[in-house]
Amino acid sequence: MEKKAETAEQKAESAHPLSEQQRGETEQEYSQQRRSSLAARLRAGDHEAAAELVDLYYEHIYLFMRRLGHSRQVSEDLTQESFLQAWRHIAQLRDGKALNGWLYRIASNASKLYWRKHAGGEPASLDGIDVADDTQTAPDKVARYEQINRLRGAVARLPMKLKQAVVLHYMQHLSISEAAEAAGIREGTFKSRLNRALKRLRKHFT
Amino acid sequence: MMTDEKLKELLNTVTDTTGDPAPSGLNEDIKRQIPQTLVLHRGGWDTINIIIDLRVSKLAAAAVIIVTMVLLAGVFGERSSADGDIYQDGKLLINYCLKGEGASTSNVLAGMSRFYEYLIYRGKEVTYYGDNIDPADKDALLLHWKLADGNYRVIFSDLRIEAVTPEQLIKLQARMLQKKTR
Repeated sequence: MEKKAETAEQKAESAHPLSEQQRGETEQEYSQQRRSSLAARLRAGDHEAAAELVDLYYEHIYLFMRRLGHSRQVSEDLTQESFLQAWRHIAQLRDGKALNGWLYRIASNASKLYWRKHAGGEPASLDGIDVADDTQTAPDKVARYEQINRLRGAVARLPMKLKQAVVLHYMQHLSISEAAEAAGIREGTFKSRLNRALKRLRKHFT
Repeated sequence: MMTDEKLKELLNTVTDTTGDPAPSGLNEDIKRQIPQTLVLHRGGWDTINIIIDLRVSKLAAAAVIIVTMVLLAGVFGERSSADGDIYQDGKLLINYCLKGEGASTSNVLAGMSRFYEYLIYRGKEVTYYGDNIDPADKDALLLHWKLADGNYRVIFSDLRIEAVTPEQLIKLQARMLQKKTR
């Protein structure tokens, strides 16, 4: 039955082929609609919606914490804390469009509070996994591996605000407006922070 | 020196190869900890938080507070402790804010969505139309909620407040729908 439905779906798709751009727009619209409906249910205090929010975002928030330099255990704790805080402050969520920025802002604040409480603690370096690319020759691979490791180290050593900007925009893929919302600053300020961060990172490769 | 493009491309690779996946079961742990009953955090109504969240210009922020205070006084004709807090916060912020920059309709509308949240917080059944209205249409509905006598309190986009019967409300809604479909 499911297979039939799938085939019918495929046929329908081939009968009305969508361009890559149209498909992207449709998916974006769908995800926007989904987020709007999720936000409305969250604001109404729907516990199932809270569970859906967790499923949708917990991996992102955990990675966000890791990329900000928290250890595995602390990242787990802060991820939990972020969702509990989000639930408590659900009334502050404006609409679906603001969902990303709002949740990351809560997570950023949880991280900031942690660093404040543990002022002496050193942020952990960004853990990496091996980069395999079969199209490259051995010396190319080594050079690239070195570059990536240097960049990883440079990001980890950035001052917290600059690191947060890089992580939000380039690693968590938030738009400028969402990332600015998450950082709690205006878009212009965020862009200049991002530029300063890139400038510093570029210096490591001169 | 490395180009921006190259740096961004490298950052993408760093992203793809950085960080371990979230431990399995973390989502279930979190879900178990989320309380079944939602208790709204009092701080959600702290005016200072509202201003920070809106990130509007100082005067616009002050305008939002004034509108909120006027509405609270005019709409309820009473003052609960929460209203009193907002009133006090408002006084402080107005003293602090009234220097420079221009307020805009969109800022006031953004403030109105906060007011909507406030009404929900007070247990009112409110309908907010702010995301879909044309601010130039003065008779467009911005908010409505039911009164104890069966009529409805309505706030229009020009921020005037009226009490209307259910029939009048339906007419106002129908007018908005017609305008939208045109």
